[in-house]
Amino acid sequence: MPLYEGVIYSGDKNIVVLDIGAAYTKCGIAGETGPRCIIPSHIKKDDQIVKLWDFNNEEELYENLKEFLFMIYFRHLLVNPKDRRMVISESLLCPSKFRDTLARVLFRHFEVGSIMFGTSHLLALTAIGVNTGLVMDVGYTETLLIPVYEGIPVIKAIQSLPIASQAIHKKLEDQLKEKATVNTAGGCKPMSSMPDCLNEQILEDIKVRCCFVTSLERAKQIQEVTVYGADSNKLPAAVPSVKFPLDGSQVLNIDGTIREHTCEILFEQDNEENSVPTLVLDALLKCPIDMRLELADNIVVTGGTAMLPGFHHRLQLELYDQLKKPKYQNKLVIKKFQFHKLFSKENYTSWLGGAMYGALETLATRSVSRDVYLTAGKLTDWCCIAEEMETEKEEKVKLKNR
Amino acid sequence: MLIILLFNEMSLSGPQHCLKLKCSECLLNEVDSHYCPMCLENMSSSEAKLKKNRCGNCFDCPSCGHTLTTRATNVAISDPDDPGKSTPKKMYYMACGFCRWTTRDVAIDDKTVASGGWEDIENTHAKKIQSLLDYYHELALNEKAERERKKYVRRRSHLYYAASMDKYGMVTVAVKKKIGAMSNVSIKENEETTTQITTEEKISDFPALPDDFFTTPLELSKVTTITQRLASPEFQPTITNDLYPKRKHLLIRKSMRCKECEHNLIKPEMNPLSIKFKIQLVIMHHIPEVRLMAPMEFRFKKELKVVLLLINPVVHNTTVSLLPVDKESDSFSTAKIELPKKEVVLARRDDAAIYDDATQMHQEFKDEKNVVAFRKANKLGVIIKVTPLIQEGDVKVSFVLRHDYRNTAVVLPMENQEPQISWLQHRIFLNLGRIHKSK
Ligand SMILES: [Zn+2]
Ligand SMILES: [Zn+2]
Ligand SMILES: [Zn+2]
Ligand SMILES: [Zn+2]
Repeated sequence: MPLYEGVIYSGDKNIVVLDIGAAYTKCGIAGETGPRCIIPSHIKKDDQIVKLWDFNNEEELYENLKEFLFMIYFRHLLVNPKDRRMVISESLLCPSKFRDTLARVLFRHFEVGSIMFGTSHLLALTAIGVNTGLVMDVGYTETLLIPVYEGIPVIKAIQSLPIASQAIHKKLEDQLKEKATVNTAGGCKPMSSMPDCLNEQILEDIKVRCCFVTSLERAKQIQEVTVYGADSNKLPAAVPSVKFPLDGSQVLNIDGTIREHTCEILFEQDNEENSVPTLVLDALLKCPIDMRLELADNIVVTGGTAMLPGFHHRLQLELYDQLKKPKYQNKLVIKKFQFHKLFSKENYTSWLGGAMYGALETLATRSVSRDVYLTAGKLTDWCCIAEEMETEKEEKVKLKNR
Repeated sequence: MLIILLFNEMSLSGPQHCLKLKCSECLLNEVDSHYCPMCLENMSSSEAKLKKNRCGNCFDCPSCGHTLTTRATNVAISDPDDPGKSTPKKMYYMACGFCRWTTRDVAIDDKTVASGGWEDIENTHAKKIQSLLDYYHELALNEKAERERKKYVRRRSHLYYAASMDKYGMVTVAVKKKIGAMSNVSIKENEETTTQITTEEKISDFPALPDDFFTTPLELSKVTTITQRLASPEFQPTITNDLYPKRKHLLIRKSMRCKECEHNLIKPEMNPLSIKFKIQLVIMHHIPEVRLMAPMEFRFKKELKVVLLLINPVVHNTTVSLLPVDKESDSFSTAKIELPKKEVVLARRDDAAIYDDATQMHQEFKDEKNVVAFRKANKLGVIIKVTPLIQEGDVKVSFVLRHDYRNTAVVLPMENQEPQISWLQHRIFLNLGRIHKSK
């Protein structure tokens, strides 16, 4: 089999690389070119889906992670955890509760040898071989943008917006309930009368198979109507509708406007004129002037949501379009935005960076060993930034709600 | 939560041994052997790693996940020497019996051999990833050498980063330390490398969606589902034309090991067809089972005789005594219990002799009526007296079960040597039921 064989320079075998995302977990073996599996970040308890990130307390999280990691080791990766090294990609804003519990499960229950915690945005840069970049991760619960200059995150310029996949699913559901119909054996019914026929997986399937990010030109006409209340005859000619088969013989009729309008949520500006593209410009504004050109020249877009058809093209046009706004016009002197080509799918770029790190001789020096962990009884608190950011975010939300 | 209780092997040869009850929580799971669930072929762990845990012969349907079967067809091949003549030739393709997907659907050529002819698709980025890795490898080596050199010199790499941050006035003193630690993740650029990375590629113009995208009806059957995409994580095909047969994922047999003495408690046989275990030290095969006979009506401060059923799982008679626990250390019990003062003997398990005369057995074991309620084969009903001390809630009692145990699970070093007898004690916690509500 001409399979690409993973390369490990350190001689260590089966170093597990794990990226537990809000929606999906990417896992595999260091030195390989792609993850072995991408699975939902949840476990099933008595036929109920329990999401890993929805936990009431650390004990609950501990039990859930134990079950989840058991599945990863013994059903997917088929390797022994004991005394093996591992690499974990985590968000810069990962709550310390989560990482502490994860470390506890791995060190105490599975007895792994060592863990290297890597910041997902930095690992994304590792995966493309650069040190400086404006890394935007359009994930599940949020879009998080971190400018990184020569390997250091520019903390004060970090931008985040709670608009990503989850918001798309919500908008899709709302629109379907509002205008979609279902063909059943008993005739055609409005979808709103059958609240149980949708779940998150179906919504996601509808999104990836039917929805797309429309062109800037059409989007402007659409927003004129949907956001600013112009008459609906101003809408561009609708794209063809789709008949989407549901369970059994039911068929969901999805209107062309739903296909086209759903992903607009990423680009519609909120009351503070924030949208996914403006995060890039706002981050640049907050970065020191002498970094800006270089960062604009090194944009890296990751995250599963960025895989939507049309996303990149639209993002790029939006950047130039927004740049003309008074908010940025005189402050940002940028002629050109350049994006890095990835050597992976957007949804596992950080994982790939972790897989590269895991293959190097220097892994040990960047890892926390079980001995050190057991002696200290906890992880050394090198990263409290997440909490600082959290409180900052909460304050912002409070201000917003006022 | 179901807890499997396991009983640890006692090794006579090894220096360490323990005879403790272990639950699934205090056991270490291990990958014992890899095998394919379809062809049941075993695979060594190094081969499994090389093949990324996938079988060399069996394939799954990329469309629905069921197993693909190989089909043979006869194809007429024209003879190059004589264009008028054609000879039939056997060709093979794969098809899914469940969703009817075939390798022909996606224009994969039929193969001339039944197996082994199916190549894997290659990751188009593999070369670039490899050259990037080579570059990092060199950096890492340099870093390692530098660290050796600077072992006695003051460390300054973290300071260096913090200082460069300061140039831009971005960091407060408080976060400097954290930033320093974070730069952990970036590999230090070093000019001394010989490998140049040529992987970096930038895009300044992404293509727009084609015009007909907005007017052509969407053919849903040609777009893959999220499940189909993620089933092939490295490639994530978006259109069904890009689906490709998936090699069957292997399964493993697990063994379990005691975390303390590292002895195997459960070890499966190598043969994937066998459901037997080489070693299986599950509690139900070694330790007398304690069961409650029938639900009772408990009342506050009213003494009741409760019959506990003891079952002997081993082929030797087992002497059992029930001992009280320290009142101070017992925060579990909600009732007072009176246990039999004398030890009782559980008859050995004898699968052949289930028709034994009960009275004869009573005599053999000299059972006392106030202690033994009944005896049948390897089962024994023991009477304990329970006085609930609560007015409502669960009636709970606790005691120690002490019994002799012959370790037959280990191979003895010498023939005819008597197995060692040990005395084991287990704390038993029993919930007997709720206090009866009288109206
Ligand atoms: Zn235990
Ligand atoms: Zn097989
Ligand atoms: Zn199929
Ligand atoms: Zn042990």
